Amino acid sequence: MKRRLSAAVDYALALLVLLAAWWYATGPMAMPTYLLPSPLRTWNALAGIAMTGELWMHLGFTLQNIIAGLILGCIAGIAIAYVMTRFPKLATWLDGPLVILQTAPKIALAPLFVVWFGFGIMAKIVLVFSLVFFPVFIGAVAGFRTLDPKMKDLSKLLGLSGLQRFRQIELPAAMPEVFVGLKIGAVQALVGAVLAEWMAGKVGLGYLMTFASATYKTPLLFAAVLTTVALGLLLHVALTILERRLLSWKGVANG
Amino acid sequence: MGQSERMIDIASVHKTFVADHGTVTALEPVSITIRKGEFISIVGPSGCGKSTLLRLISGLDQASGGTITLDVAGAVRPVGFVFQEPVLLPWKTILENVRFPLDTSGVRRAQGDKTALDLIKMVGLSGFEKALPRQLSGGMRQRAAIARALSDDPPILLMDEPFSAVDLLTRDNLNDELLRIWQSTGKTILLVTHSVEEAAYLADRVMVMTARPGKLKCVHDVDLARPRGEDTKLDPTYHTLVAQLRRDLRTPAGEAH
Repeated sequence: MKRRLSAAVDYALALLVLLAAWWYATGPMAMPTYLLPSPLRTWNALAGIAMTGELWMHLGFTLQNIIAGLILGCIAGIAIAYVMTRFPKLATWLDGPLVILQTAPKIALAPLFVVWFGFGIMAKIVLVFSLVFFPVFIGAVAGFRTLDPKMKDLSKLLGLSGLQRFRQIELPAAMPEVFVGLKIGAVQALVGAVLAEWMAGKVGLGYLMTFASATYKTPLLFAAVLTTVALGLLLHVALTILERRLLSWKGVANG
Repeated sequence: MGQSERMIDIASVHKTFVADHGTVTALEPVSITIRKGEFISIVGPSGCGKSTLLRLISGLDQASGGTITLDVAGAVRPVGFVFQEPVLLPWKTILENVRFPLDTSGVRRAQGDKTALDLIKMVGLSGFEKALPRQLSGGMRQRAAIARALSDDPPILLMDEPFSAVDLLTRDNLNDELLRIWQSTGKTILLVTHSVEEAAYLADRVMVMTARPGKLKCVHDVDLARPRGEDTKLDPTYHTLVAQLRRDLRTPAGEAH
């Protein structure tokens, strides 16, 4: 407890030093606002769009795409991994195409997604989905493959149905590996969501950034970047809490 | 045991595997009839097919030939199985693990809780209902595994070296508790073990198996009074039987063990 407290103090101190340096560069060093807006100006820009409600609209849009992509990516990643481990024949068929898709840089494909799926929400979710799918899929395959064969004996002895076996034994057993993939995927999901908004559309934190930089509103750009950082932290915290709840049985991360 | 009602009838059951270099005989034809409520120990070296025999009886594996008849009158899950490791679900509490066979066969929660709690008490794990498997010692986990195997009340309990992973003192205690459980539930028990002492101490009959190829060498009746305890281990009859079992295992394949 004491160690955690002192860690928090150190954390806060480091952030304060960073903030002080930022203030020093814009105040005494007199960096021009279009290069580096002061903390106060940035704060004002942030508060401004927060008051008008603009911020919440953009933040909500980005967050919604991330969550939709995360959920769909998780479901598809787990489902396909499960089907592949259950039917090894299918695995040999799907392996090649999946490796090609996996190695294709999704970020570079983003413009293509806009062409295929339009300027709307669809292209954004598809991009986030494609970034979440592979890490979750790879984690899930590892999880399903390392299942203790004795567990299979147990389900056979108890005469479990396919659904019972999946829900009660296979999925929970694979969860730790799935989470490893999900945490990697979540970071990518944020990048993907913002990037997709750069490409097209008129909403989202990514759009706010391109709008701000195109119109030389650097304080607004900073505000958007800071909001994105905060969103990333929020996602990380949410996943950590979820992991602790779901995987408390492993005895990991019990602080 | 005075009862002679037939429970398991094994007739010329054998098992061969197909390996890279031809077929391997895991078990030569075995025939034996096991009575209801009987406690059978199966002793033998590694590779004698004793685990294979249990897996065939449980239906986990299919025999290459011969028949196994279980007189269990329509029980959905006729056998409870205790593995060498506890094989508990690590994300479920002890209570949930013991209740698992009931939960998955549609028994009401209240009924399942009652049965599971009774069994947890019987195996001496009261107070650990809410604990997770990792918080328990090896011996305690194995007790939980026994309780789970008994939870949907199968007439037959198959145990594959259930106590080989726990220390000797714990093992002695678990053996005594197993006898107590057997006497209070009247199950038919088949227990596979490496230990001739354990085999003789527990059973009504001991099946001796030898390896390469795995086969049933002989069956000994155990004429030791019930209930058994520390006094049994001083009984000359017990020592004679243990010595006989050792000899059975040594000859003819002297290098086997």
